Amino acid sequence: MATIGNNNLNAKLVLLGDMGAGKSSLVLRFVKGQFLEFQESTIGAAFFSQTLAVNDATVKFEIWDTAGQERYHSLAPMYYRGAAAAIIVYDITSMESFTRAKKWVQELQKQGNPNMVMALAGNKADLEDKRKVTAEEARTYAEENGLFFMETSAKTAINVNDIFYEIAKRLPRAQPAQNPAGMVLVDRPAERSRSAACCS
Amino acid sequence: MDENVSYPFIDTSSFDLIVVGTGLPESVIASAASAAGKSVLHLDANPFYGSHFSSLPLDSFTSFLQSQQNIPQKEYSSSIENYSQSDCVVVGLESRCLYSNFEISSHVSPESLEPSRKFSLDISGPRVLFCADPAVDLLLKSGASHHIEFKSIDASFIYTGDGRLLAVPDSRAAIFKDRSLGLTEKNQLMRFFKLVQEHFESVAADGDRKEEKRRISEEDLESPFIEFLNKQRLPPKIKSIILYAIVMADCDQDHPEISENLVKTKDGIEKLALYHSSVGRLANASGAFIYPIYGQGELPQAFCRCAAVKGALYVLRMPVTALLLDKESSHYKGVRLASGQEMFFHHLVVDPSYVVPSSSILSLTVDLQQKSAHGSSLAVVKGKVARAICVTRGSVKPDLSNLLLVFPPRSLNSKQVKSIRALQLGSNLAVCPSGLFLLYLSTVCDDAIQGKESLHAAMDALFTPVSEDNDSTSVVSKDMEGQTKPSLLWSAMYIQEMAMGSSDTISFCCMPDGNLDYCDLLKSTVELFREMYPMEELFPQTTAEKIEDDGDSLD
Repeated sequence: MATIGNNNLNAKLVLLGDMGAGKSSLVLRFVKGQFLEFQESTIGAAFFSQTLAVNDATVKFEIWDTAGQERYHSLAPMYYRGAAAAIIVYDITSMESFTRAKKWVQELQKQGNPNMVMALAGNKADLEDKRKVTAEEARTYAEENGLFFMETSAKTAINVNDIFYEIAKRLPRAQPAQNPAGMVLVDRPAERSRSAACCS
Repeated sequence: MDENVSYPFIDTSSFDLIVVGTGLPESVIASAASAAGKSVLHLDANPFYGSHFSSLPLDSFTSFLQSQQNIPQKEYSSSIENYSQSDCVVVGLESRCLYSNFEISSHVSPESLEPSRKFSLDISGPRVLFCADPAVDLLLKSGASHHIEFKSIDASFIYTGDGRLLAVPDSRAAIFKDRSLGLTEKNQLMRFFKLVQEHFESVAADGDRKEEKRRISEEDLESPFIEFLNKQRLPPKIKSIILYAIVMADCDQDHPEISENLVKTKDGIEKLALYHSSVGRLANASGAFIYPIYGQGELPQAFCRCAAVKGALYVLRMPVTALLLDKESSHYKGVRLASGQEMFFHHLVVDPSYVVPSSSILSLTVDLQQKSAHGSSLAVVKGKVARAICVTRGSVKPDLSNLLLVFPPRSLNSKQVKSIRALQLGSNLAVCPSGLFLLYLSTVCDDAIQGKESLHAAMDALFTPVSEDNDSTSVVSKDMEGQTKPSLLWSAMYIQEMAMGSSDTISFCCMPDGNLDYCDLLKSTVELFREMYPMEELFPQTTAEKIEDDGDSLD
């Protein structure tokens, strides 16, 4: 959930889409400015965070990648919990990945929170000659389903930052948290020994 | 997300470790093995994570328990077929029934409990984490803690024979504030806590001669805790609080059926110290306990995500139907999936609800088929636990939402021979719609009927059922003290077998135990991991540090 403090917004963003659509590549391009031609399936990080300045506020994204759990349709409900935004990624050279993206949208509408900002990303826009999904078709679908649409390329960096900026702009500013925030466990240095802590 | 039943094809077919079932112990093992660089395939027959440790929407919860109760004796072919193409024998894998006596009572129309997904019901409740629990350390070490948020349990109460709920004075501050204890009792309790504290300080200052006299003697440590408490001349009320609401003893310590049920002093003070070090260990937790927002099913999910991040492969909705036994070595080396695909492993860890014919009994002769029908290897069943979940309108303590409640043995009636522990959770934990509460109850029992009767007695003491011809909101009944009792809208009750973990050629994880915490469960899980991978460190330090962040702390 997006939470606010001093014009700083923290927002969990989840990526969805078929394996190979370029989810991890988009994140790596956005967070590290990198692109690897042969990105491994999993990237070995629980999540990335990146802060953006939008107008008078800063938005700190906590970006969750699927860690491959989408591959056999085994994403945990935990993945969607409290997400303020989602990017559904497909590959413009694969009609199948676009069909699958629509299923992910349905899944999000079922599981996610209703105020979630959803973006549809037609990735691999640099591969124009192999295009199978027209921008028109995707845009129409996105408009009908309350998503905003952009074609991106993690390889050339086209629209990558833009899609994150657009999400940041659209995040509701004064949103009451749906569920009260709890605490995250933090390893506090033990200032007293465990067993001797008895009513000291 | 597809509804079709066609099973996916899995590209890789050989793994260091195959884990079947996504309960908490299995998930911890999968995540620890992945962190140690092992290739892991993690399977579950269910469409959800958590197995016996999951939290489910109301409708799924009901259907899960119903399905568990009706497991046909032979769900999969248990016959042993000779596997023509290779050097393997196929041994059928069966499920067994670990839940029984499932009953649901609904006092309201089903529509008033909609939407079902607003509920998140724990299958193995009531359960909480002590803040100083090894579970918290494991969550931190593995990095799983990044995926879960917790809330503190506001307070603990102990049920007195006369129907009142007394606050448990569990820390110095709580004793100070307590209004039910007299000054003498406060002093006695304070002195006792100090005695235990000094004992541990003295043990910590090992070798220091001056400290030694402050230690509790070896003899006392080995003797029953109740005798030690008697020696300290603690009044019955205080003893009861210490034994059942702090140390969480299951059996009646004054009248144990068998002496084995007596808690020893060393174990008693160990638990007391755990309790005390839990109070104030975490910055935002006021009491000794915390509970995960969205339910305890978040814990296995978090460990599975950690495993996935380290490369473990996840396939839900994929039953395992058989094991492949190597003819030459008589060791299991593979599993056959419901899809027909065969996967090979070095190590196999399975959920305790499976039954596997033991490879040690199997000799590859003709009589092997008969033997397999009886001689089977499985996780050893040790005792039962009766569990109940209640959906209520109104809290048992009007000003509090999340609380723990203990009914010491025989506090309800003479037939209640074991402690009953209850945990009430409110909608601020995102486990039920707002305005409603969940109350979990459990008691260890030898006999299903007895266990259920005890839970019913506890529910009767706490709630008023909503009568059918009444508008539920207007029903208010008062107990002897004139306090309103919450109304009971819905309840479910069942008996769960407590299967222990075991490891032979195949390792079995344990079922949820009868305890309130995760200590024993995780201890046996960690032991299992060490047996499997004696050379590997459990979650080496680097794994927790690899979270990509731009430097800000998480809260």
